[in-house]
Amino acid sequence: MKKFIFWRYPGRIPFFRMDDRLLLIFIGVIVGICSGLAAIVLNRSLIFLLDGFHHMRHLWWAFLLPAAGAMLSSIFLEKIMNEGAGHGVPEVIYSVSRYGGLLRLRSSISRLVSSCLTIGSGGSAGPEAPVVMSGAAIGSNIAKFFFLNDRQRVTLVGCGAAGAIASIFNAPLTGMIFTMEIILGEWSMVNIIPIAVASVAGAEVSRILQGNSIAFESSTSFNIGYIDLLACLGLAVTASLASLLLTRALRRMHKISPRVRVPLWARAAIGGCAVGLLGFAVPEVLGEGYHSIHAMIQGSFPAGLGIAAIACLAKILATSLTLGWGGSGGIFAPCLVIGSFAGLAYHRLLAFAFPSVMWVNEGCFALLGMAGMMSGILQAPLTGIFLILEITGSYEVMLSLIIVSAISTTITHYFEPASFYLKDLTERGQLLRPGTDSRVLADMSIREVIEKDCIPVHPGMLLRDFLHTVTISTRNYFPVEDKETGHFLGMIRFDHIRPYLFNTVMYDTVFVEQIMDTDMEVVHFDDDLFDVLQIMDAKHCFSLPVVSNNRFAGMVSKATLLDKYRDELNVQTSQL
Amino acid sequence: METTIFHVFRNTPLGREILMQSLYFCKQSGTSIVIYIPEHTKFLMYYENDVVQVDLDQSYLTDPATAMDHARALTDEAGLQPRFIEPKNFTASTLPDLPVDFDFMCCPRSISDLSTKISLGHIGPKVRRIINSARFPVLMPSLLFKEWKSIIVFFGGSVNAVKALKLGLRLSRISGKPLDMFTHDHRNPKEYFENILQENLLEDAVEENVRQWYFFDNGKFEHKLYNVSHNALAVLGAYGHGLVKDMLFGSKMELIQATLSNSLLIAGPCYVSPRE
Repeated sequence: MKKFIFWRYPGRIPFFRMDDRLLLIFIGVIVGICSGLAAIVLNRSLIFLLDGFHHMRHLWWAFLLPAAGAMLSSIFLEKIMNEGAGHGVPEVIYSVSRYGGLLRLRSSISRLVSSCLTIGSGGSAGPEAPVVMSGAAIGSNIAKFFFLNDRQRVTLVGCGAAGAIASIFNAPLTGMIFTMEIILGEWSMVNIIPIAVASVAGAEVSRILQGNSIAFESSTSFNIGYIDLLACLGLAVTASLASLLLTRALRRMHKISPRVRVPLWARAAIGGCAVGLLGFAVPEVLGEGYHSIHAMIQGSFPAGLGIAAIACLAKILATSLTLGWGGSGGIFAPCLVIGSFAGLAYHRLLAFAFPSVMWVNEGCFALLGMAGMMSGILQAPLTGIFLILEITGSYEVMLSLIIVSAISTTITHYFEPASFYLKDLTERGQLLRPGTDSRVLADMSIREVIEKDCIPVHPGMLLRDFLHTVTISTRNYFPVEDKETGHFLGMIRFDHIRPYLFNTVMYDTVFVEQIMDTDMEVVHFDDDLFDVLQIMDAKHCFSLPVVSNNRFAGMVSKATLLDKYRDELNVQTSQL
Repeated sequence: METTIFHVFRNTPLGREILMQSLYFCKQSGTSIVIYIPEHTKFLMYYENDVVQVDLDQSYLTDPATAMDHARALTDEAGLQPRFIEPKNFTASTLPDLPVDFDFMCCPRSISDLSTKISLGHIGPKVRRIINSARFPVLMPSLLFKEWKSIIVFFGGSVNAVKALKLGLRLSRISGKPLDMFTHDHRNPKEYFENILQENLLEDAVEENVRQWYFFDNGKFEHKLYNVSHNALAVLGAYGHGLVKDMLFGSKMELIQATLSNSLLIAGPCYVSPRE
């Protein structure tokens, strides 16, 4: 029994005490394997469901399949798991930035099952974000089991996310970069090594169980000429327009759907039904849509500019109907599909407008479109570039990938300053990246900066007695408290007594209650220091009294706050 | 040092009884009360090493228009000034995060089940998780409001029991209520427990403050609980032995809560005694 308890505190094992990175690497491998397995389970379940329903797609009632899937997914999340819909990545980022990566155990399976139901039945969504959520929750709960601290837990959450992405795409570099760029928002040496190891572990699990294959390998190599490079500029604009369109369509649907006053599961079913009907006209919109990407990269997608353009718009509509109306899943896969449709349509438009030019294979533009779309919507160009490199194996298009990703990110950022994953958090003021002002302030509390050495005085006290108190005090502020109840009544600043200081006649005629400030701003223990600083700035004051249960508890001053701020900033940035 | 108790208000007759218990506790211990009137059926509490999602029973959302007035009327009657908190942070749009930096929390025996199910011998899983993770003790009131006239500490010699004893001593000192101790052990003589008190520098405090030490070295534990006064606040430690031992040999806390209808104040394994 004692041995078991000892292993639950691995940080105490002498080998790991040499450097806690060794501990994180060791546990990171476990997390990477577990999250890799979770990704494979989802992948296999999706293949099973999609294959199972494939022969029913031609039936007249097939449009009800996505409705049933979305409805079951919503019921599962809401009623059984007691979680909200959505893909979960913002939840992971929120937990990392505010609560040291604490995630519920149930999150490690909830999104896997719900997204499997949504996507497997034909809903337009991706399995990647749910596996990120699942992997992150696995990492968090393993850290919890071993009683690791916040910083170590955050690293393991990153390990889980990296292992999941690495496993589902067989792309270890992408797993690592996605985690650093999107989930953690920092590139620190402490994190990189365990996350890289977890990413490799996740990818290896995938390779052992599913084979070492490149997801969207092209049968031909792409020879990009100068004219194609020039055309990449236009492709970047097209991809960024598509990402803007998808972002806004999703947000619009999120706003419209609550207006329909029906239960959540019925709302999800309505969205699923609409996707099912859309699927009759454009079957490519159903499910994750990876078959279409294969066809486009191989150059075997049905000919016609209109078909590609319509498929692109239809996929945007289907994704926003699925996710905006309560279905479960992520936007990774839809982004790849929409991006490749956009790239294909753009290539066909160029070929139509300039028939005499020798353009590169349209499959190349499809994969460049994917990178542009990913970079635009996630505003994470490195993730876009490395993902496409690893899932297509087309390293010869590196230069064009960089151009398309960089321009697409820049254009999208101009219109949408926060990425799809971060927009809600930014609007709620809850995106707290390490080392930023808001994060430093959020990690401090009033209890840490409160000064309790103020001497309280009573309203009935004469100025002479008060001056005696002043001589023994080291502070300029004096709380006035009711003698009977101890309730806080107001404050006296040293400035208040200045007019009377040299008039000794007033010493025995003026009472404290006549000169005290009763209209002073007060703060409470649970107020955020960010708000406290704003009050200080607005009122042009350097200290504020802290009042709890009508009693004076102490003072908060800008000077002490700055001291603690520097300490906290040092702690946060020394880990980078 | 100012202390606060956190109370989730249920706008029902049962909720009224429970709030009255919290208010009585506040008056006795000089604690201020922080009340949360839920707008959603679930909320999250992020502790140091755990996050607990509390899924409330629907009755917590009963008649929200009158909830604030009802709570305020009770606090006014008790002569206390409550602070009502509204969540500032949300993990998801319908999933608020509530702060956890309180000194006590009041939980009925179950927070997620219908009030008709709440009875002796049934502690909900969420309440267990809160006790296990919180740095504060949990006040688990009896179903009907009853003033407690004394405090009894269940002292089994564990680390958690020592923390519970310190808590009982502090409460007794603040409230002026007499303090009793209760120990039931077949294996160890009373000297063994006295040594533990000595090791923890509690010998003098116990000598001075404890009115009676009920020490039993025979009979069944449940049977001896009859000696506990009907109007005593029972203070005890919980889950101090770890999950495996509790599963194998059973938890004393579970036995006490299943047998005793008194209000309980339970200090979990993460409870940190405040510095005097």
